[in-house]
Amino acid sequence: MAARTVLRNEWRLLMADRALRIVLGLFAVLLLYALANGVVWLRFQERIVETVQTGNAERASAIEQELAAIANGAEPASRFSDPRDPYVLGGGRGTHTAVLTPGPLTALAVGQSDLLPYYYDVNIYTNESSFQQNGEVENPLNLMVGRFDLAFVVIYLLPLLVLALGYNVLSEEREQGTLALTLSQPVSARGVVVAKLAFRALLVVGMVLAASLLGTLVTGGFGSPGRVLLWCAAVVIYALFWFVLAAWVNSLRRSSAWNATVLVGAWLVLVVVLPATINIASGLLHPLPSRVQMVTAQREASNDAVNRRSELLARYLEDHPEMAEGVVADVTFSGALAWAATDAVNRRLEEVTGEHDARRAEQIALVRRYRFLSPALLAQEVLVDAAGTGDARYAGFQSQVRAFAERWRGFFVPAILAGEQMDASVLPDLPRFSLADEGSGDVARRAAVPLAVLGGLLVLVGAAAGAGLGRVRGAD
Amino acid sequence: MQTTESRAGHTPLLEARGLSKDYGDTRALDSLDLAIAPGEVYCLLGPNGAGKTTTINLFLGFVVPSGGQALVSGLDVSTHDRETKQQLAYIPEQVMLYRNLSGLENLEYFAALGGRGSLGRERLADILVKAGLERDAVGRRVSDYSKGMRQKVGIAIAMAKEAAVLLLDEPTSGLDPKASNEFSALVERLRERGVAVLMATHDLFRAKDTGTRVGIMRYGRLVTELSTDEIGHADLERIYLEHMHD
Repeated sequence: MAARTVLRNEWRLLMADRALRIVLGLFAVLLLYALANGVVWLRFQERIVETVQTGNAERASAIEQELAAIANGAEPASRFSDPRDPYVLGGGRGTHTAVLTPGPLTALAVGQSDLLPYYYDVNIYTNESSFQQNGEVENPLNLMVGRFDLAFVVIYLLPLLVLALGYNVLSEEREQGTLALTLSQPVSARGVVVAKLAFRALLVVGMVLAASLLGTLVTGGFGSPGRVLLWCAAVVIYALFWFVLAAWVNSLRRSSAWNATVLVGAWLVLVVVLPATINIASGLLHPLPSRVQMVTAQREASNDAVNRRSELLARYLEDHPEMAEGVVADVTFSGALAWAATDAVNRRLEEVTGEHDARRAEQIALVRRYRFLSPALLAQEVLVDAAGTGDARYAGFQSQVRAFAERWRGFFVPAILAGEQMDASVLPDLPRFSLADEGSGDVARRAAVPLAVLGGLLVLVGAAAGAGLGRVRGAD
Repeated sequence: MQTTESRAGHTPLLEARGLSKDYGDTRALDSLDLAIAPGEVYCLLGPNGAGKTTTINLFLGFVVPSGGQALVSGLDVSTHDRETKQQLAYIPEQVMLYRNLSGLENLEYFAALGGRGSLGRERLADILVKAGLERDAVGRRVSDYSKGMRQKVGIAIAMAKEAAVLLLDEPTSGLDPKASNEFSALVERLRERGVAVLMATHDLFRAKDTGTRVGIMRYGRLVTELSTDEIGHADLERIYLEHMHD
């Protein structure tokens, strides 16, 4: 009864407060703008994916037609683009593009989808530089600051709105003198504050969830109900954390001005300073190798390999004796020599990129270790993971592309070394990239720890707030 | 639970037994014994810091006693917070309400908190009028109200609650004489209905006029207790000043 009474009174107070209505209206506009921004990005990404997939089909069709024509006696258009040559069929002309379709909730959290590549052209030339050139070589935390999407609004702006609505939830009652009259009724300060905050939480969380579900509906994200639930859970827990923080600060029985200062300070520390500090620390402790150094190493390796082709072929056959039988006796065979050079370049690159990857892994490990210090980092991790735009899904995609590139090379290189010609009969056997995407269960398992920690923080601060509010009496 | 018979011969609705309150080294209230029966208006007189407001705050459960008990209808306030507050109505020196809401909306809210949410708007509006508010002011925002009008809303909250006990903390302070008289008349009406009233005040005239008993406090102690039937205004003033000069 008391809770319902307070809720109704809060509604009346809201309706009577023009400034509050304007703030909430502004927040609603921001939510819709963020959602629209995410949807625009998703549509763009879908168009790119469609174009890439069409390109795959068109290339395959053109090759099939040319091979059929050649089989019927036609001459290839050019010796250098003869699709019977495994170097051509497995190289640039026959490139197969591996695609990561947009995450189910990309419209809600663009995450890293605008920074990390979601398609790779795979052919026999695909090597580590293919991933590095398209990949983000900055600190992983930089990847987390993306577009103005719903996740951004939730992580950065939602706490500010919560604090604006909750910083004076009790102190204002005391300052305007209504607390004594309220607590002379058979209600507790704890009950009144909980009801008042519950009203505000319903309002704020309701708006965010409505925008999220609208975005999900518009973009067909309900196909992944588990991810939607995870998203909603992260939003609710994160928002409630800020509400209970406001309740706790109010329970300290200080002035509204003091509460506002402390809460804005908390926002600054937890949402801005700590993530930035972790970012800077990871960069300082585990600096990435210079990108210029990587490019230079790649060029040097390439030049060196070209200059020592014959020597390289001999070394390649030493390393791969199983191939030796198939190689024609004439070592001047250009395809085999070229492949030996390519392979040498790849090996050199692996050395350089290996160091980069190791440093980046250390950076990620450091960020993961200290993300527990900031509820914003924890919530961000869960939101982008639920959306399918987190680094785990991209890492999985990249790993599958690497494996696919290996299969692709495994299919063509023996033929290159043997100097074989290919025909249309091999086309059905060409490796195809098929993404084994993560399931909701995988995401839920990853999100369990950050969500549990976030929930733990919520309970901890909530318990402190409950205890503090229990001591609040009318004469404060 | 042991109860004390008040002077009126009824079981007291409000009772203090050796009630004390310390703030650090300062004793704000020292072993107060007090019993107020239904239909009694007990006025606490005394200078600032005498312990009047502390007494009221102890009955409201706003502060925790350092010793003794504050009882409402025989129930200890410390252990029966909700039950005792069900029976109490409180009007502070400044009745502060939600400024952006009307008097009626404020009454609706506080009446509902007090467990009288079933009263309809018309009935509540009538109560506000009975409490002395002009009918056309009932729906106006409280930000337009004078102090006297807010006090009347406070009275209406107490009336709507139909509380057995009324705690008044200098309720006529700052009111003009007409508003003070209206207020006293309202308290008298509540007294006639059997409400027990404890009023802290500086106003000797009002205490004599409205109260059935008067207690004079100083340094946290109840130094004397008088029946208003047995003394005149001048006597009360003389006795009060005598105690203040000790």
